[in-house]
Amino acid sequence: MEPHEFKLNAEGLKAVLPPLEAEIMEYMWKVKVATAGEVYEQLKKNHKDLRRSTVSILMNRLCERGLLERSVETGRGGMRYVYSITTTREDFEKKIVESILNALMSNFKEATFAYLSKIKK
Amino acid sequence: MLKFIVLAQVLIAILYLGKWGLFVTLGLSIALVIIYLWITKNSLKKNYSKLKWEEMPWLYDAVAKMSYRAGISMPNIYILDDYIPNAYSFRNSLVLSLGLFEVLSENEILGVAAHEIGHIKNGDTILFPMVAYGRYLMLFLVAVTSLFSHHKFAIFVSLILYVLYEIERVNFFKKREFRADETALYLLDRPFNLKDALEELKYYEDLRITVKESALPGIEPNIERKQKKSFMTTHPSYDERILRILVEIEAVELLDNLK
Repeated sequence: MEPHEFKLNAEGLKAVLPPLEAEIMEYMWKVKVATAGEVYEQLKKNHKDLRRSTVSILMNRLCERGLLERSVETGRGGMRYVYSITTTREDFEKKIVESILNALMSNFKEATFAYLSKIKK
Repeated sequence: MLKFIVLAQVLIAILYLGKWGLFVTLGLSIALVIIYLWITKNSLKKNYSKLKWEEMPWLYDAVAKMSYRAGISMPNIYILDDYIPNAYSFRNSLVLSLGLFEVLSENEILGVAAHEIGHIKNGDTILFPMVAYGRYLMLFLVAVTSLFSHHKFAIFVSLILYVLYEIERVNFFKKREFRADETALYLLDRPFNLKDALEELKYYEDLRITVKESALPGIEPNIERKQKKSFMTTHPSYDERILRILVEIEAVELLDNLK
């Protein structure tokens, strides 16, 4: 997933993902595999008005972004969708830093280079 | 009404095109039946799996109970691999998408299943394809009459009949949707299941469109989408259906109290 925007005043993952999607990813990186129902139960603890539809839509959106993948699992409870992570949190963060620095280097090369050198010192 | 419109269109074709008009009508009708049978036979091959009792006993048993109440044989239940909530019926089968199981509770899924059983009981699984394919027959007969009859009156009447068919087709589908809801209310142990399901599905659709249309990747679940009115929509809106369900439930309760 390539981040398309970076919110300077947002914290952590919320800088590159909408708040609820960031929370879903935080949980998914913890458990690696989960159903939308399990994610809903987890998020509901902090969001009392949350609905199953919202979680389902956002998880499928995360699939479209390439951060999750969906597969059909047939078990005792019948068929259901399970979602799994496609990348580790570390790889995701690495990719964000690379994308942002690449963008800065191609748009503001000298200023970025000067600033990076200053930090290095 | 629809059958009279089709009959009139066929008569126009026969009157102005003679035997040729009759052969065209018969030939096309047979072709459409073959296409319908081929599509229903082949559309089930991929992404569908037939539900077994041991996979979801709660659903299987409830569908069996509702079918018994409706006086129809136990329908086949198919599960469709699609994350978008969706349900439909054909012949003596009902199809529920996996997306439904993700956004609805068990009770709400039974509400949706009851609506589909309502369609089967009311004969819609036979009528709907006939009306839908009748549209192609009408369209083809308009084209044939316009191209080969060389009578302005025949062409004019043929076109008017097609427009009438389209208007009546939309009304017909809407009426049958309401009727399937009405039937479902009598099949369910808890009639409010269908209303709850429709409310959740409305919320899902509104939210999905909001998420899709939004330029930024954020969502605002409380934003209500303005209903886009289309006079050619064959399905009534969720709001219309919910309102009718509430009225129906109230009426039944009132009658029960009067008894």
